[in-house]
Amino acid sequence: MEADKYNIVCFMCNWAFCQEEMQIPSDLNIVRVMCIGRIDPAIILETFEKGVYGVMLVGCKPPDCHYIDGNLQTERAVKMLRKLLKLTGLETERIKLLWYSPTDEKTFAYYAKKFLKEIKEIGFSPLRREAQKSKLLVNVLAAKNAASDFRLRVLLGREKELTEGVNVYGEKLSVEEFDALLDEIVTEEFVRHKIHVLTKTEPLSVKALADVLEMKTANVLRHIVNMRRKNMIALDHVEGTTPLYKALEVK
Amino acid sequence: MTKDHRTNVRKLPPCRNACPARVNVQGYVSLLQRGKLEEAVELIRQDMPFPAICGRVCFSPCEDACARTNVDQAVAIRAIKRLVADVEREHGKVKPKPIPKVHNERVAVIGAGPAGLTAAYELAKLGYPVTVFEGMAEPGGMMRYCIPEFRLEKFVVANEIEYIRDLGVEIKTGIKFGKDITINSLKKDGYKAIFLAIGTQQGMKLNVPGEDFDGVVNAVDFLRDVALGKQVDVGETVAVVGGGNSAIDAARTAKKLGAKEVLILYRRSREEMPALPYEVAEAERDGVKFHFLVAPKQIVGENGKVKAIECIRMRLGEPDESGRRRPVPINLSEHQYKVDMVIPALGQVAEATSIPEELLDKTSRTPSMQIDPVTLETKMQGVFAGGDIATGPASIIEAVGAGKKAAVSIHRYLQGMDLRSGREEVEETTWVKNWGYINKKERRYEPPVEKPRLSFEEAREYLENLKRHAMFEAFRCLGCGPCAECLANLELCEGDKAVVDEALCIGCNVCAVVCPFGAIKKNEKEIAQVNEDLCKGCGICAARCPEKAITMKKLPNERILSLALATVKG
Repeated sequence: MEADKYNIVCFMCNWAFCQEEMQIPSDLNIVRVMCIGRIDPAIILETFEKGVYGVMLVGCKPPDCHYIDGNLQTERAVKMLRKLLKLTGLETERIKLLWYSPTDEKTFAYYAKKFLKEIKEIGFSPLRREAQKSKLLVNVLAAKNAASDFRLRVLLGREKELTEGVNVYGEKLSVEEFDALLDEIVTEEFVRHKIHVLTKTEPLSVKALADVLEMKTANVLRHIVNMRRKNMIALDHVEGTTPLYKALEVK
Repeated sequence: MTKDHRTNVRKLPPCRNACPARVNVQGYVSLLQRGKLEEAVELIRQDMPFPAICGRVCFSPCEDACARTNVDQAVAIRAIKRLVADVEREHGKVKPKPIPKVHNERVAVIGAGPAGLTAAYELAKLGYPVTVFEGMAEPGGMMRYCIPEFRLEKFVVANEIEYIRDLGVEIKTGIKFGKDITINSLKKDGYKAIFLAIGTQQGMKLNVPGEDFDGVVNAVDFLRDVALGKQVDVGETVAVVGGGNSAIDAARTAKKLGAKEVLILYRRSREEMPALPYEVAEAERDGVKFHFLVAPKQIVGENGKVKAIECIRMRLGEPDESGRRRPVPINLSEHQYKVDMVIPALGQVAEATSIPEELLDKTSRTPSMQIDPVTLETKMQGVFAGGDIATGPASIIEAVGAGKKAAVSIHRYLQGMDLRSGREEVEETTWVKNWGYINKKERRYEPPVEKPRLSFEEAREYLENLKRHAMFEAFRCLGCGPCAECLANLELCEGDKAVVDEALCIGCNVCAVVCPFGAIKKNEKEIAQVNEDLCKGCGICAARCPEKAITMKKLPNERILSLALATVKG
């Protein structure tokens, strides 16, 4: 591997793509998709897990979108991703969302170079450094699983409906209320999936988990009760008086 | 934008929405952007059989609707269509393979004009054995007999009809409807459905005294005689009455046949003329003189021959129901033009004898029949009618639209399906809402009016040049439609559609919420179902499905991931 190459993945909307102007640094790997809304948040987290330094999402300038609101859907996903990324300990600046149009004054190469420079300032992905790898990897894995799990995805998919329309009870959520809700659920899901990842390799007690998670044991227990209900975790065996839990395979 | 979940509404770009035949304009323009000319023609043929004809004489409602008009000028859509069709022909005629007949029900189409031929084409594509009966010696209808050679070459018409024939449509010419065949005789011969596309063949009369003088020839008859190659004598001075395209055609034809002076007399002003502005400009270039706000009062004759036409001046009054201002005569303003030929070109009506007695609408002033505007059914079961006969004299593209509609109706009728429910509705959508940052690029491609005579080498260079110009023009297209049936030939989206794994779907409805086109809905089993006609393959649903039950056919998540990680090593 070339030591000085910065691996950056750039997901790009086919409609924002302009071939003639593609004089971009080789560090960027451009993946074209029909709409930037096509990008699953879990894919982005998985690329981080595999050691990518930064992810750039390029969509059409709102209000223009060939798929009516695909770019705005992405914006919502990125908002959630940043929250997750913050919990993992990775820098949130590693995700960049760019609105671009081929008729823009500046070429795409300009933005690509700018992002590369920003990433160089942040530095190599910590996942590449062995010393920090194990701890961070658990976090990123947990975030990835959280992003592919039901709760966050439903919330994400329904955001527009919840904040712009009204639900069956005639209620409407303000953007702030939704943001608070999202914060809460992102944290919960992250913790639960982290417990899941941690207990996958060996059965752990609530006390041990609370130490790793730096949380109160009562809170950890609450999560475990929840997870047992969802068949994510089960009692493995009891050591003395301490119950040890082990993750179950999810589907 | 509010989302609607009507199942049969297709959201189309403005150009395609404006086209009566719903030709995929954005599609072929963007194929041309990538230099794929053959594919572009194929794409046009999916929607209608006359790319070269419409590339020449269509009145291009698509260009009027083009979103680019908000920035500078419309994309030269008609010119592009003409180019792709011409290049295909120059490179050697395409011979399509006959389509296998999968149905037994025979269909008869009366009239080989644009409506009839399109219906036959569409039905043949569905696998029906179709026979087209034409009264004249050659098929083509008004396209062949009423549009003069200098606007639409006969070999172009012949070529496109040949294509329809090659698909397996039988065209029988020289068979007069009402004389050689009737509806009953056709039914007896085993035709299960009949489409009447007999058009409007009779030129309207002026209804002024002196119309019987020698030298008064109706525009339709005049143009038809010229097209048939008959010896047609034009006078020294010719007056054409009317302001439509056939008036312009007749005037230009008369001029080209040697008339010294040709006048067009129109009772309204230039703005109200139904003729296309560029046709008017062409006529002026040919030396045709226009007299506006005059209406004929009588034709003055001498020894049974036309000597002059007496006209009265008009002024414009209040707008009438058509939205144009109604001309009002000015008293005592009669004046005469010395002419020796008068060509009335006031539009056409159907020949009374051409409509079967049992279908004739006796309450109407002009010979016509009652036709359902949606299904094109007539009063008789299994008999459909459309085209000019239903709408009054219109355009080729409207006739093509009617032919397509008829084909759908006939197919449904023969298969015992409901004719009315779930017929396609369309709606205009564009994603461009901000015109501010689009750079202005003026339209610069117009095809040459007449092709220069060139040697073989020169011709090739000429064609290449045209192609390059047309590609530049195609790049002016904003691709403003809701996506891209147009990229059908790109690896990325070739028919990319969402697929639901029914075993995984839990009916949470997230996909239906995120789908921008309302293509996904839950069925009675509470399982998501993708309407493939509406799905544009954006994949937003696949990115959001909580149970990962939705995947994309061509570009699943795994493929995106492997593409993304292709350069990551170690």
